[in-house]
Amino acid sequence: MPVATTASASTVATKPRSKRKRDTSWGFLPWVAPAAVTILFVFGYSLYQLFTQSLQYQGTWAGLDNFKIVLSDPLFRTAIAHNALLLLVVPILLALAMSLAILLFETRRGLRGYRATLFFPYILPIPVVGVVFGQLLQFHGALNKVFGAVGLGGLASDWLGDPSRALWTMAAIIVWKEVGFGIILFLARLISLPTEVFEAARLDGAGFFRTHLRITIPMLRPLIFFYIVNEAIVMVSWVFNYVYVMTNGQGGPGTSTVVSELYIYRAAFQDQHPELAAAASVLLFAATLILVVGFFRLQRGEGTFGE
Amino acid sequence: MKRRTRITTLFCAVALAIAGCSSSASQSRGSAASLATKAAGAYPTGPVHLTMWWWGDQEAHGAKAWLADTVAAYEAKHPNVKIDTVLQTTDGLLPAFQAAAAAKQGPDIQYFWGGIYSQQPAWTGQILPVSDYIPANELKHYLNASVEDTYQGKIVTAPWYVNPQFPVLVRKDVLAAHGLQTPTTWTDLLTTCDKLSAAGVTPMAGGVKDGWFGGWLYSMLGGQTITSQADITAAVTGQQKFTDPQHAAWWQRLQEMVQHHCWNSDINSLQLYEAQQRWVSGQAAMTVAAGSDASNFIKKVGEQKVALTVMPKFGNGPYAGKISTTSQTVGITAWTKYPQVDADFIQFMHTPERLQAWYDKTGSMPADDRFDISKVSDPAQQSLFKMALNGAPYPENFIPTELDSNAVFTNVQLVLKGARTAAQAAADMQSQMARLRVTDRAIVKNFEAWTR
Repeated sequence: MPVATTASASTVATKPRSKRKRDTSWGFLPWVAPAAVTILFVFGYSLYQLFTQSLQYQGTWAGLDNFKIVLSDPLFRTAIAHNALLLLVVPILLALAMSLAILLFETRRGLRGYRATLFFPYILPIPVVGVVFGQLLQFHGALNKVFGAVGLGGLASDWLGDPSRALWTMAAIIVWKEVGFGIILFLARLISLPTEVFEAARLDGAGFFRTHLRITIPMLRPLIFFYIVNEAIVMVSWVFNYVYVMTNGQGGPGTSTVVSELYIYRAAFQDQHPELAAAASVLLFAATLILVVGFFRLQRGEGTFGE
Repeated sequence: MKRRTRITTLFCAVALAIAGCSSSASQSRGSAASLATKAAGAYPTGPVHLTMWWWGDQEAHGAKAWLADTVAAYEAKHPNVKIDTVLQTTDGLLPAFQAAAAAKQGPDIQYFWGGIYSQQPAWTGQILPVSDYIPANELKHYLNASVEDTYQGKIVTAPWYVNPQFPVLVRKDVLAAHGLQTPTTWTDLLTTCDKLSAAGVTPMAGGVKDGWFGGWLYSMLGGQTITSQADITAAVTGQQKFTDPQHAAWWQRLQEMVQHHCWNSDINSLQLYEAQQRWVSGQAAMTVAAGSDASNFIKKVGEQKVALTVMPKFGNGPYAGKISTTSQTVGITAWTKYPQVDADFIQFMHTPERLQAWYDKTGSMPADDRFDISKVSDPAQQSLFKMALNGAPYPENFIPTELDSNAVFTNVQLVLKGARTAAQAAADMQSQMARLRVTDRAIVKNFEAWTR
């Protein structure tokens, strides 16, 4: 009986599997093909254009000249350095998002209200954020007036007008806006974790920090990797909007807030150097690709989200 | 793993090969640009739909209403023609046009600031020379076209209105309250700055957050030590240097203004129009306005309280103490289907009735010598218009736009903040220009051809 059972189970298991295999080989094609062709065409054509332009100058073959010019351009190096400095914000974002998510998870009372409040900045359009903070952070703006009113006038500064502070001010605004995404992400995962594990830990005498350090963080690890990579990509290639809105597309004062995307935008649309914009884009694309590939490799090592 | 590496290598090789083979030489490297051409053809009788992207209401209030009236009048005269107008933002004007030019679709008629802003689109074949479609005996009346907008004997864009750059607006009442008068010399200006700032009043209100005011300062100060626009273009092509005294002196004067607290302390975090409101409200004694907008500011404060002057003289050049003059222009895009209709509409903008209507609506000066200045009743405005007619070249219009934004805008911000000295700013401008000669491989030839 057991043999027969095994055999029949095997038969039952094998037949549908082979059928399913056939289905997955061809059945999805009519549904996926149009989307795949569209995506591949758009993506492929863009890549083709990008590479083509980056290797030419006004229609003639230029070899790697454009890459040499871009890489030797002090402005590009400044822009990359700023992107790299913004990457330092990622650990801060992670720590803030994790801490707030855990606090909310532990508090429970008023969870919805807090969650909505903390997520609110994330749904605000960046131009709105830029304009509001642009006003708030003027030298004679509201923030400095508040400092003055509470006797902290010494802290007042030209937040966006001082070249030594502008990038960090912008980083703080990005943290304020982006942290909500992390909180919601971590909170959603925390809520879905089995409560028995936490209860068992508490019964074993684990305190707040020990519980979260030894249980929560390891269980959130795949998500943490995802969040780090996602935010790293944001810092490398998604901060253009903030810089553009808050500095009127200048990246100022001086070059203190120029980032790689702004460099590309200005090269392409202001300075009429599409070939340099393309070369810089290829470099940025490569940097982002490394981050994404790195993420997938890490993810493979750590297991997927559900595991 | 090996297979994947091989596939990746193959992909890269194919991409490089395709990219390399797909070249379609359009302009040999480093040669001067030749202008785009297109046959004019007869005026069409079938339906014509034109689009005009423009800017200008920002500095000539009332321009929007004037343009709407002009379009309506033209459409009434030519029922087969429909013209849509799209007002652009200051920061969006150039990028939007570049995007349109890349796609070869968008406006038929495009607004351009004068000088380099009209030259560069012509050099890259994005616009058709207006002189191919508008007769010479008409174009000869358009002010500033020959100095700023002519390339290899052709006029590339058509002047629309004149911008006397830049009058200094003075609140006589604010100065009088502190026992001061309108400064007429550089020393006067610095003394006025010292006294006003000590009294807690902002001597001059400005804003450089968006950069543009940096270019204005360059023109007001930098124009005082050059002998002609050829000096500027010589520094662009490498025959002179931006560190030479005639090009670098203005940075020193700007630094002096900072040392004497002439500007508002938050100049780096404000846009110019925000700062100008401080002058309107009496918090600042002086500000700078576009010449086309000066009358509006004077009206807001009251004529009797305002004096209109120029930046006090410090230089010995022929343009020191003079207002610069430039014309804002419109051009015909290379992809338009109806260049002859575009040109006809531009000429319609210059009919006597439209010229007078422009002045009536905006208070600024149309760029046409057929406009009768003697009929301008306001003496301050009339004097400004006369200054513009005999004005100096506008320096900002003779440097590459990239140099303007990457060297002038940025260094002005840094000098005003005290983060860079005058000498450092001049050196940076020179090194930015050297870099630009590498990145824009045709710039020297184009500038030489422009100024030849």
